Amino acid sequence: MLNEIFPNLIKRMPEFWKAAGDTLLMEAWSGSICFVIGLILGIILTVTKPGGIMENRPVYQVLDKIVNLFRSIPFIILLTALMPLSRLIMGTAIYVRGVIVPLVFGATPFFARQVESALAQTDHGLIEAALSMGSSPLEVIFRVYLRESIAPITRATTITAISLLSLTAMAGAVGAGGLGDFAIRYGHDRNMIDITWVTVIVLVVAVSAVQWFGDFVARKNTH
Amino acid sequence: MIELEHIIKNFQADTNKNISIHAVNDVSLKINDGEIFGIIGFSGAGKSTLVRCINLLERPDSGSVKIDGVEITKLKPRDLYKARRKIGMIFQQFNLMPSRTVFQNVAYPLTNLSKDEIKNKVRELLSLVEISEKENNYPSELSGGQKQRVAIARALANDPTILLCDEATSALDPQTTGAILQLLKDLNKKLNLTIVVITHEMEVVKNICRKAAVMDHGRIIETGDVFSIFSNPKHEVTKNFVRTTSNLSKLEILLRENSPMVKLNPGEVLARLIYIYAEVSEPLISSMSREFNLEINIILADVEIVSGIMIGGTVVIFKGDRENILKAFEYLKARNVNVEVIKGC
Repeated sequence: MLNEIFPNLIKRMPEFWKAAGDTLLMEAWSGSICFVIGLILGIILTVTKPGGIMENRPVYQVLDKIVNLFRSIPFIILLTALMPLSRLIMGTAIYVRGVIVPLVFGATPFFARQVESALAQTDHGLIEAALSMGSSPLEVIFRVYLRESIAPITRATTITAISLLSLTAMAGAVGAGGLGDFAIRYGHDRNMIDITWVTVIVLVVAVSAVQWFGDFVARKNTH
Repeated sequence: MIELEHIIKNFQADTNKNISIHAVNDVSLKINDGEIFGIIGFSGAGKSTLVRCINLLERPDSGSVKIDGVEITKLKPRDLYKARRKIGMIFQQFNLMPSRTVFQNVAYPLTNLSKDEIKNKVRELLSLVEISEKENNYPSELSGGQKQRVAIARALANDPTILLCDEATSALDPQTTGAILQLLKDLNKKLNLTIVVITHEMEVVKNICRKAAVMDHGRIIETGDVFSIFSNPKHEVTKNFVRTTSNLSKLEILLRENSPMVKLNPGEVLARLIYIYAEVSEPLISSMSREFNLEINIILADVEIVSGIMIGGTVVIFKGDRENILKAFEYLKARNVNVEVIKGC
């Protein structure tokens, strides 16, 4: 039965699993690094902007420009442009290892902006109240900004994780492997339609799962 | 004691051009311990900025802020955070953290206590503001008045000596406002709490403050005990405020609308009588009517109790001999009643 519907896929199951594993690996590594750095950058952007609790014009201006710069570079260009840096940090510019650096550079500025806008939703009155109770700026960040923004930050993380997934598909272009690469090589190049279909279905399921989980966490944290 | 000296705070209206607004313009003020002090002004008068200068949520451009003799504008950040724990603040929009329960909100400022101590302290505070039963609710499940009670409990968590109230009742209905004001009054007595009340409602000042300052365009234009501000407002803005609370202000509307109530027949006089001090208890109207053989028609009347003293007035139409009416005016003036002839005579 399966042999008839997915003739080409069934013959290449080990390769399919490897590709799925590579995608997962890219997503997990670059996603985790991107989450930490993006969160920190988003917080710094929020507190240093004019009127923020640690207002600092030079820091804000520089960071703001850097984030804009990296957000405007198309990912496919970032992939090749960052090869030397990749070699320097990861020791290689190919395979899964080689693509983590460009993935982080591609997704982090996006996530930092999302975090910034999530934190901006925090009512300024809450910040004032916390300061009036003697909270230091650091306390305000952890006990007010982050605590009150769990739901919007979760949503931002969901959006970023999903857009990161589509970036990993592009990473196949520099030999990183993964599902995107698998689908192009067999589904497109060799016209094995069933492989394209299965890859798309797997990705749809993955995206839906991430979205569902994100919504669940966000809902749990909304009162 | 709160001592503000020559506080100036400007806001830049436009960052590119050098236009700035004097939000607070050379304000000096002294508020004694245990006092409930009102600062009243129309919106944009600078009162919210001024109150934020007391705990340095806004840092004044110049001037000094002393709390119990300590110049807090000169404190290091760490010491300032400590000083702020002794200055509670509540807000118009309550500003409770939506992700925390009532208990967690009140526990927020209690950072250096053990778990058990926090539990005891929070319970004690919640019973003080009479909202113990809502301990495990989230702010979104509370009414405005309940939210403000929780906010008051939170503001009192570190046993402050001062409580700043920034339009704390402006988002509440009149009945709830009354209850919150009563609570503040009780807390003032029970804890000898110094309370600074910022408001645009004369009603609030009249209700709980002994002393008040009137603010306009960043300056304090009048200050003193509430009774004398009420009975004898000097500045035009203050007069406006006093008028907003008095029923007698309806006279202006009646006159503008040419209401039949204020239409005079020949020989009639429309006058406003303002009573101050204890004279109110005397049956002025009826004795005048008898003594000078006048018909006196009361159009409007209003008696207020400010700081325990009666103050008020009536708008009346006198009908009778012109000479007798003038005599009646003399009679009133001799009894400390201010007579203002509005129409006729």
